[in-house]
Amino acid sequence: MGKPPYLGEFEQQVLLVILRLGADAYGPEIGRELEARAGRRVSRGALYTTLDRLEDKGLIRWRTVPGTEARDGLPRRLYAVTAAGLAAVKAAHAVVKRLWDGIGARLKDPLK
Amino acid sequence: MTPRTTRTTRDTLPPRLAEWLLRHLLPNDRQSDVIRGDLLEEFRRRTSRAWYWREAISTIFQEHRYRNMLTLDNLRQDVRFAWRSYRKAPTFALLVVATLALGIGASTAIFSIVNAVLVRPLPLRDPDRLLWISEANGRGDVISASWMNYGDWRARAHAFEGLAASRGSTFDLTGMGQAHRVTGRLVTWNFFQTLGTEPVLGRAFSQTDERPGAELVAIISHEFWQRQLNGDAGALGRPLTLDGHPHTIVGVLPPGFRYLRSYDVFTALGTIIGEPWLADRGNHQGFVAIGRLRAGVTRDAAATELQQIEADLTRAYPATNTNISVVVEPLAARLVKPIRDTLLVLSGAVGILLLIACINVAGLLIARGAARQHELAVRAALGGRRGRLVIQLLVESTMLSLSGGVLGVGIAAALLRTLIAMAPPGTPRLDEVALDGYALAFAVVAAIACGVFFGLLPAAQASRANGQQLVIRTRAAGASAASHGLRRGLMAVEVALALILLTAAALMMRTLVHVTSVDAGFRPDHVLVANTSIPEAKPDPPRRTAILDDILARMRAVPGVTAAGAGFSLPIDGSNWNSVFWPQDKPLPPTHDGLPSAAMVPITAGYFEALGARLLRGRMLDDRDTAASTPVAVVNEALAARIWPGQDPIGKHLKQGWPEGKGVWREVVGLVADIKFEGLTERTTLQVYFPFAQDPPADFWIVVRTAVDPASLSTALTSTVGAVNRDMPVAGLRTMDDVFGESIARQRIARLVLAVFAGVALTLASIGLFGLVAHSVTERRQEVGVRLALGASRTSIVRTLVAGGVSTAVAGIAAGTACSTVTAKSLESLLFDVKPFDPLTFTAVAAGLLIVAILACAIPAYRASRAGIVGALRTE
Repeated sequence: MGKPPYLGEFEQQVLLVILRLGADAYGPEIGRELEARAGRRVSRGALYTTLDRLEDKGLIRWRTVPGTEARDGLPRRLYAVTAAGLAAVKAAHAVVKRLWDGIGARLKDPLK
Repeated sequence: MTPRTTRTTRDTLPPRLAEWLLRHLLPNDRQSDVIRGDLLEEFRRRTSRAWYWREAISTIFQEHRYRNMLTLDNLRQDVRFAWRSYRKAPTFALLVVATLALGIGASTAIFSIVNAVLVRPLPLRDPDRLLWISEANGRGDVISASWMNYGDWRARAHAFEGLAASRGSTFDLTGMGQAHRVTGRLVTWNFFQTLGTEPVLGRAFSQTDERPGAELVAIISHEFWQRQLNGDAGALGRPLTLDGHPHTIVGVLPPGFRYLRSYDVFTALGTIIGEPWLADRGNHQGFVAIGRLRAGVTRDAAATELQQIEADLTRAYPATNTNISVVVEPLAARLVKPIRDTLLVLSGAVGILLLIACINVAGLLIARGAARQHELAVRAALGGRRGRLVIQLLVESTMLSLSGGVLGVGIAAALLRTLIAMAPPGTPRLDEVALDGYALAFAVVAAIACGVFFGLLPAAQASRANGQQLVIRTRAAGASAASHGLRRGLMAVEVALALILLTAAALMMRTLVHVTSVDAGFRPDHVLVANTSIPEAKPDPPRRTAILDDILARMRAVPGVTAAGAGFSLPIDGSNWNSVFWPQDKPLPPTHDGLPSAAMVPITAGYFEALGARLLRGRMLDDRDTAASTPVAVVNEALAARIWPGQDPIGKHLKQGWPEGKGVWREVVGLVADIKFEGLTERTTLQVYFPFAQDPPADFWIVVRTAVDPASLSTALTSTVGAVNRDMPVAGLRTMDDVFGESIARQRIARLVLAVFAGVALTLASIGLFGLVAHSVTERRQEVGVRLALGASRTSIVRTLVAGGVSTAVAGIAAGTACSTVTAKSLESLLFDVKPFDPLTFTAVAAGLLIVAILACAIPAYRASRAGIVGALRTE
């Protein structure tokens, strides 16, 4: 396996939320969790295209399950992070971690 | 507000249109179901319809962008594809473009007129605060305001910042080359200030201009300044001889200024301010007032205050003011009053036409969509995504409607020219009508809206195509049946709309037939008329008679002239002098309000002969009647019937003016048939004709009857007048037939537009019905073949096929008739001698439309039945 693909900020957030939700990761839950944790309004259009893009990159996969009464029986897509997705998140996290190394002390008094 | 305790359907069902858009416009079917489910679930938690709309639209757009469907490249490909497919079916494309061009063109033209005349605010400061104020008599007829009453309003009313009065007039302009007549108004000094405009050059009038004996001053329009004085900067202070009186130009108005209409010259009231007739409170001398409301005062408050003052005046002057009331209207509304109803009718008609055009196009597009189901199914089966197909169909329909829009603008320009040329003379604000940015924006929006809206419906229909149909190809299968049902619904609506237009057009046609068959009381053919006047510094009655006699003598000598005469007023054009009168043999009524009023027309010998009026009893006026002879009069039938019912009017006596006034008693020597003085559709007034020489006005109409084409003698008339006195202007030179035409221009323009629109609507509806039946025939060809093979008769086949289309038409006719009973009412003010619910018109239109519908349906059905068994079955 080559170098894991680059992740945009929103892509990263979506992947993390899917991991966090586990078996319950489907559209409305992902949106809600993002809004709660990241504290941002998520346009559903942006969310679906991001999911499409992550799928096209091979970072997530989905399976369809029958819908509930609350959605008039329309099917749900349950998302799960693939191995490649996991690697990409990890790589992104590692980058951030490397960047953070040694920053802690500076944050207390950045001018010194 | 009570708290919501139960969930309503509104809370559980998302906006239907947004849901529909999602279902049809998302690029991927399977994902579409998931996304709709997700949004539905969230919507039920949030219950915010705005949220659903926002997310639905954002999802559709983002998905398309991600799927690379909204790229220029794709668009170019779609356009090219559409172009190719239209070249393959040019009739279809031309039909759609022509239909839309007609709809968009007609509506853009009418929109331009409505916008300029009714919608755009008057080009004055705060036009909303301007009121038009006049008076009405006991019968409720609006008449002009009495100068004395106006003076009291101005002195007592507090609601107005300014209250001005003015009176329309024409002036004979002399001393600047050939004499001619200019339009103008006599105005109070505060007129321009009240309207909210001021001269761009020089000064407005001041109070001193209104004093008796003040120097006569004039303010000229910008256009007059340019035309007559070549925009000379030194125009201020120059003399202007109006009606023989030298005026000094003191100001030039801003370009484009108009009040009710455009005028050349405005003069201060100095010329007439000291005259005794102005002080006669019972005399309504042609004035109307304009009031500018004080800030914060409402129209109603101002009207109430004026009514209060008017009531006080009635108590103070019962002899002149009994039954006189004040009339207050917003200036803008008053201005467009004569044309408002006509324009609203035309807007309604054009709206219906546009709707019919769109429905027809939608029908055509649906039919084409249905015909292309196979192609679309193949493309879907080969991996064409639904959203992509929908966009392509939308591009196709938008291309058609934009082409229709471009062509429509051309049609609009032509139609606008025709309508302006046909407009009744004196139509307000007509010079402001143009195909401007607003109109073009309207055309573009109309075109795109047509394209998207009516592309969407068939696009959604056609995009239901799926791989299954490729395999089965059953023509009567679901999608096709659904599209057929939709088309039938649309066709019924279209027939209903066409019927509304046809009924309106038929009512207008009957009106015009009635109007043109009205007996005007004279023969309008072969008559030439012109208005002129004698310029004079001081009234000189004998000179007036001499000049007029000279002109008439010369005209009678012109070859081709069979009779010539002159009168103060012209039939149809309206009486210039209405006055009360009193018959000698009747007791006096207690107040002036009870006095009869008649048109007073001084005429020369030859006037009746030239008009072709009919003498019923006694004699016409002739050369015996001079200034010195016995005062005589000729009256009309209506007067005789009203004043002396059942008696012979000959030998009776009557007097013009108040009974106690100085007027002379005139002996009635003749009785003529009623002449329509105030227009063909107006009730006939009482009329009193008396010898010109016995009270000669300076202003009169010359009437010439000819044995040749009257227009060919126009030059002879102008040069004769000029030869007698070169300072006499000739105005209003035209044939009596033209005068007739102008008087019914409102009805004629409504008839023409409605007839054209109705014709187009009928054609479109027939094409639509034809298409509907032809389409169903194609779909059922196999069934027809089988039935024929099984021994069904041709007639029964035709009957079955026709029945479908005709039942649709009947439903439309029924609905249209029901709607017409409402819409016809809006025509009421234009109708003459026809009731809006004229049963004959309604029945005839419905029957006519039904016949056309049966024919439109029968032709394709008959053709199908002729195809024969083999032909019908060959398709499989």
